[in-house]
Amino acid sequence: MLTTAPHLYLRRPSPTTAEFTVTTCPPLTIPLRICLLTISLLRAAIFAAAITTIYSRFFHEPSHPSPITSVPVADLLYQGDLLLLASHLLQALHSSPPGQFLASITQPLSNSGLAVIASVITYFSLFTQLHTTESLLVLRGLGIQTSTSSSSFSSPIPNTSDGSNRWRGWKWWFWGTTPTKTRFIPTEKIRDVLINEAFRGFEVRYYLIVIVEGEEDIVVVFPRLLPGRKIVEEVWRGVRGCLYEGDPNHQSLGGSWGQTGTIGRKDN
Amino acid sequence: MAPTYNIAMVSDFFYPQPGGVESHIYQLSTKLMDRGHKVIIITHAYEGRTGVRYLTNGLKVYHVPFLVIFRSATFPTVFSFFPIFRNIVLRERIDIVHGHASLSNFCHEAILHARTMGLRTVFTDHSLFGFADAASILTNKLLKFTLSDVDHVICVSHTCKENTVLRASLDPLMVSVIPNAVVAENFKPLSPSENPSYPPPARPLGPHDIITIVVISRLFYNKGTDLLTAAIPRILENHPNTRFIIAGSGPKSIDLEQMIEQNVLQDRVEMLGPIRHEEVRDVMVRGHIYLHPSLTEAFGTVIVEAASCGLYVVCTQVGGIPEVLPSHMTVFAKPEEDDLITATGKAIAALRANKVRTELFHEQVKTMYSWENVAVRTERVYNGICGAISEGEFYGYYEGGNSNANSWSATRGRSGVQSFALIDRLKRYYGCGIWAGKLFCLCVIVDYLLFLFLELWFPREGIDVCPDWPRKKRKDSRE
Repeated sequence: MLTTAPHLYLRRPSPTTAEFTVTTCPPLTIPLRICLLTISLLRAAIFAAAITTIYSRFFHEPSHPSPITSVPVADLLYQGDLLLLASHLLQALHSSPPGQFLASITQPLSNSGLAVIASVITYFSLFTQLHTTESLLVLRGLGIQTSTSSSSFSSPIPNTSDGSNRWRGWKWWFWGTTPTKTRFIPTEKIRDVLINEAFRGFEVRYYLIVIVEGEEDIVVVFPRLLPGRKIVEEVWRGVRGCLYEGDPNHQSLGGSWGQTGTIGRKDN
Repeated sequence: MAPTYNIAMVSDFFYPQPGGVESHIYQLSTKLMDRGHKVIIITHAYEGRTGVRYLTNGLKVYHVPFLVIFRSATFPTVFSFFPIFRNIVLRERIDIVHGHASLSNFCHEAILHARTMGLRTVFTDHSLFGFADAASILTNKLLKFTLSDVDHVICVSHTCKENTVLRASLDPLMVSVIPNAVVAENFKPLSPSENPSYPPPARPLGPHDIITIVVISRLFYNKGTDLLTAAIPRILENHPNTRFIIAGSGPKSIDLEQMIEQNVLQDRVEMLGPIRHEEVRDVMVRGHIYLHPSLTEAFGTVIVEAASCGLYVVCTQVGGIPEVLPSHMTVFAKPEEDDLITATGKAIAALRANKVRTELFHEQVKTMYSWENVAVRTERVYNGICGAISEGEFYGYYEGGNSNANSWSATRGRSGVQSFALIDRLKRYYGCGIWAGKLFCLCVIVDYLLFLFLELWFPREGIDVCPDWPRKKRKDSRE
């Protein structure tokens, strides 16, 4: 219910621009929004619980009484002392009834066991993605840009090409949203855009590729979702149409393929 | 109008590796495509050749990544090929699976899985096997397993058919003989405009003209290299104006070299070493006689090629060789030294007496062997197993006897409406042997369960169907 098979959204803000987005996110209806909100809250709760158990076991000092009452939260925020605020919050959570309950039920676990389990839960509650979205932006005369949400289990820092944009990666991480990896290929570097077939696991798949001038490897568009032939063909037609429209060198090729409907089904 | 089919040719052996089976598959596929069928080839990945490839005529080749163990045969795992095979079959909408070569593990697996999936299967046997040694017994058992539930078998010669029927305990009715063919255009005799320094001369051969005998073969024991080693000195002794050209390589080439040294025949025997298939014709046209001393041979394409080049053929009377060429093109010998020498002597005498019209051989071979003809006959097999032509027409009617068309027989049950029910298949496998039968049944059941699992895990709806390459307009059958 929360995810669907990959499907395609097409956006054409201007005749020379097209954005193809393939996503597993279904159309956002009111029930779905409520559902997603609930899930987000649930994730936040699980995250808080995991952090609290770690705090109670390893960092809580029983001698200190709860200081939360003595210092108002607003003051701490105002002063910008986030670290102190966090410790106060954790202390409050620990001393609350659910916090006490958590501490008591995790009592039988050994230190190392608790550390591992709680860390794994923390990681998953932070970085699990429900939906995968990948897109391809085509700008005639400029080039194409692929963007893909990188794997949830890899580093949250996207691989920026020159490494200058480190902070941006951390910012993504900080907000807990899906980090995306983008790549822009200028028109003069594009040698061709085409559909290929290859073995992948126990199946043969169609995928859209961009051949880049002077590069050994090809660029796979939608590398994570690898949508089916129908979507790939539609995107391929759209890309050729948008990129090479009015270009006599490519018109004949793109045109003839476009007319036949599906590749090569001219007769019988 | 007969239907067209989507056919998958499955074999371990395909280009880029050169060889007889490989070129057979390629030529047959090409001609079947010319007749309006869709053909794909499934083989394993070769060095530098993986993934999905198209050949220039639209022939699609799947080079499946797979473990290769010995002489490009893949490792025999009974089930591991199934998931990828099913995916390919479904995306290409295959109706008929056609396996080639009995040493190919891919082919055996594909036939088993295809039957599990409810497809028609054909098997082409390209080679002869013995019955006595351990390796043959094992291969024969494996063959029996696969062929217990195949729809039809094609052999390249009648001898090969007899051999296969015995090895796999088949009903001879379900085995057809369709010989190999040659591309006659690639094996033309030397035209006068080409290189006039070589023979043949325009005038008849005189007693002092040099006659060249060509041998092209892999120098293995089964190709009769020992026979050749023994015969060459005696032939050269009896016939002073003769020369030998030997092309090919193999473990026995050292024996030949020793023979040449011992008898000091360096100026009369030329060893060319390994040559490519494209060069075969150029070597052949340098000679007058082609000597083929093989000890076993299913078909012997090379003697057809030699005759097509206008060479008089001397060959041993073994395997399928006597079926291959008409008697006026060949001199037969028993596979023994003395007889081979006598036969070669006869051939030399006949050439010197100008009794043999070798210049006509090319046209005659051209009419006898063509891949179009092979494709037409193979297509008839496909029609037969798919029920497009009636059982009676396909298998022939029994004379008298049991004329009831519904009576059960191992063959009759297979055509047209053959039952793919698991229980019927198990019955066929169970008859393979006391222990083997049970083992085979177990394999088939596991295969079936695997099939059900795959249907659940990779549902058919999730598999993209390939667009077809534009099919050629079907030519009218010339039968």
